[in-house]
Amino acid sequence: MVAFRNSDASGRTSGLLLRCVLYCLLALGLIITDKRYDHLGELRRFLSVVAYPVQVAVASPFQGWDWFRENVSTRASLEADKDKLEAQLRLANFKLQRYEALEAESQRLRALRANTADVTAHFIIGNIMHLDLDAFRERVLIDKGARDGVFVGQAVLDAGGVFGQVARVEQLTSEVILISDPAHEIPVQVNRNGLRTIAVGTGDTHLLKLPYLPTSADVVAGDLLVTSGLGGGFPAGYPVGTVAEVKRDPAQSLADVDVRPAAALDRTREVMFVWLNGDSGSAATSPLPATTATTATAGATATKPPPSTAQATPPHPPATASAGPAHSPSPPPPAKPRGAPP
Amino acid sequence: MMRDDPAPRLPMALSAVVALALAVLPLPTAIDAFRPDFLVLVVLYWSIESPRAGGLALAFLAGLALDVTRGVVLGQHALALTLMAAWATHLRLRLRVFSLVSQSLTIFAFLSGYQFILFWVDGATGNPVTTFSRWLAPVIGALIWPLLTGLLSRLHER
Repeated sequence: MVAFRNSDASGRTSGLLLRCVLYCLLALGLIITDKRYDHLGELRRFLSVVAYPVQVAVASPFQGWDWFRENVSTRASLEADKDKLEAQLRLANFKLQRYEALEAESQRLRALRANTADVTAHFIIGNIMHLDLDAFRERVLIDKGARDGVFVGQAVLDAGGVFGQVARVEQLTSEVILISDPAHEIPVQVNRNGLRTIAVGTGDTHLLKLPYLPTSADVVAGDLLVTSGLGGGFPAGYPVGTVAEVKRDPAQSLADVDVRPAAALDRTREVMFVWLNGDSGSAATSPLPATTATTATAGATATKPPPSTAQATPPHPPATASAGPAHSPSPPPPAKPRGAPP
Repeated sequence: MMRDDPAPRLPMALSAVVALALAVLPLPTAIDAFRPDFLVLVVLYWSIESPRAGGLALAFLAGLALDVTRGVVLGQHALALTLMAAWATHLRLRLRVFSLVSQSLTIFAFLSGYQFILFWVDGATGNPVTTFSRWLAPVIGALIWPLLTGLLSRLHER
């Protein structure tokens, strides 16, 4: 009889209300704890390990297909690939001849100023897992995580140029925010004349904007933008994009500049995680538990050449762009104040 | 009420995992915005058909899974899913006798409510996504509801 009464409509509804309120309070508590105090790294890491099989199961057919296509390619296509790669290699070698001389010269000049170059110490290659995190944000999941020494704010490149930076690190995977994400900003420099500004993502994979340039700024279509290295998150001198169009409206104080990203943001499959000199893999991964932190350092040191001793680079500064769900304010445009007179 | 009694844990878990896989399945960017919230539809189905089997717990856990795979603030999808599942459970007796069209309309209301809560939490945590296309998912979800409910009840009867 009691059981029967428990299952009648009113009893069930009150139970439902109670449980609903409990779960909602739990969820709200999670939201607030996660947002305000950032204490849920452990829980999130645990849950992500649980969700990992599903992600792998979904990604594996696509990776399997890629593997299949790689292994079952015709002789003709292989030869065409080989020709193309050889041509690229010739070109790259040709450029490299000058590069070596220039780098040596640059080292000499910097040595004069007692300042070593901010060159990349080493890198690892990560594969993009074919997964959509969120249709409205430009983020991808990559199969390298805390275990490999990846840390939050780390620069990520692809063959064409800057790809993005690490926004979140799990044990086995990491989430990378692309430079085209609307919440991402990257300090850049016009390669032709050294003009510094900030490139902002738009949410469109093929478009960045330079919103902080005055109409009088010396920037024209075709200009190459490279990372300026200011802010410290990204190594200096890597291509970010080329200016596609400059719209100057005399009524506005700021120019409207469209930039085409240099990296193949929507096509690339492999990306590079970059360590600068002075970065240690575990420096920025403070929320890691002791065990994973040590494995991370071990992984980093295993692949890392002996650190250069010449320079004490500041420890990894706060990420230049908002490297998480929070939109932290990015540094103001370094050189040109808004609407500065020419 | 026959359906309330056995707890179809296995079909529930199975359909939830498949829906989660569909939710993270890569789609071309052009049609990505049209992807319905499969996991939400599945949770709503079980809340309506078999609330005794722990529809709210399923909703909460599915929400957490979505939070983790989407990389958003933890608890966002859990909150939205729990609220909508509770609402659906509350209305389940009426929903079961609705025609498919009115069911779909109600599901549209649930899905819109779900999106609205997500939208609100996004805004409250300083990460607003103001694209209009996020409101497409409820429409598509309501359109495929008859299909999904047929499929899931087939699974359920087994």
